[in-house]
Amino acid sequence: METNWAAEHLQTIRTLMERSALYRRALAPISIYVGVIGVLGAAGGWALKLELPGSFALYWLAVSIVAVIGALLLVRRQAIRHGENFWSLPTRRVAQAMLPALLVGLGFGLMVAKWAPEFQERYDPKTISVGLIVLWTLLYGLALHAAGFFMPRGIRLFGWGFVLAGLVLFAAMAWTNLSASGISAHALMGVIFGGSHLAYGIYLYFTEQPKNET
Amino acid sequence: MNPEPFLNLDRLIHEKGRLAIMSLLAASPELSFTEMRDALGMTDGNLTTHIRTLQEAGYVSVAKTYQNNRPLTTCMLTSKGRKSFADYINLLEQIIQQSKAK
Repeated sequence: METNWAAEHLQTIRTLMERSALYRRALAPISIYVGVIGVLGAAGGWALKLELPGSFALYWLAVSIVAVIGALLLVRRQAIRHGENFWSLPTRRVAQAMLPALLVGLGFGLMVAKWAPEFQERYDPKTISVGLIVLWTLLYGLALHAAGFFMPRGIRLFGWGFVLAGLVLFAAMAWTNLSASGISAHALMGVIFGGSHLAYGIYLYFTEQPKNET
Repeated sequence: MNPEPFLNLDRLIHEKGRLAIMSLLAASPELSFTEMRDALGMTDGNLTTHIRTLQEAGYVSVAKTYQNNRPLTTCMLTSKGRKSFADYINLLEQIIQQSKAK
C-alpha cells in the first residue's frame, strides 16, 4: 500500500520533470508559415527558371534562411505574448538538437553551389539537384526526429516522414530515369517541404490544444 | 516496517501543489510564472501562495524583471531547495526499497 503511494509519487515527479523540459510553443502557425514559404519558394524557383544545380542550391539555401528567421520570429512573438523568455531551456534544447543535421545540410548545399560545374561534367543537372533534395530531406528528417525528444511526439513521426520520403526519392533516383521525366526539382521541394509543412500545420491548427501555446 | 523514512519526509514539499512546483523547477534552471501556471493548470492565486511558502522556506528564489516592457516573474530552486528535493526523493525510494525487501 505504502509502496504504491511512494511509487505513484515518484512517477508524478518524473512526469512533471519531463513536462518542464518539453517545448510547448504552438507549432501550427510555425508549420503553416514554413509551408507557405516552401510553396512560394517552389513557385519562385520555377518562375525564375533556376535549373542549374549551383543556382538551385543557393536559391533554396536563401529560402531556408527566410523560413528559419521567420520561424524564430514567430517563436519570439509567442514568448513575448506569454511573458516568457524567448531563448528558454526547451527552445535551446530543440535548437541544439536540430543544429548538427541542419549545418550538414547547409554544407552540402554550399558544396553543390561551389563545385556544380565539376559535378555537371559527370552527372546531368537535374540528377545533382534531386540528389541534393534527397540529402536535405533525409537531414531535415533527422533534425526533426532529434528535436522530437524535446517536443510533442508528433514531431518525431513528422521527422520519420521526411526520412522515408528521402529514401523513396533516393530509390526513385536510383531505379528510374528521373532526369528524363518532366518533374521539376523546384516542384519536388515545394511538395516535400512546402506541402508537408502546410498539411501538418493545418492538422495542428485543428488539433493543437490552446493551452499548448505556452 | 521501519516508519522512519516516512516520518522524515519534508512536509513542506510533500504537499501536492508544492511537490509539483518543486518537480518542475528541478528539471529546469528557471521557469516563468506563466510557464508553471500553464504546465500545472493552477490558478494564479494558488500558485502564488505555494511559491511564497517555498520562498519563505528558502527553497525557491523569485526574480522580478521586465521583458519588452512587460513584467516577467521567474522562479528557480535554491541550493537548499535542490538538496531538500533530492532528500525527499531519496526517502521515497527508501520507502519503496523497504517494502520490496519485506
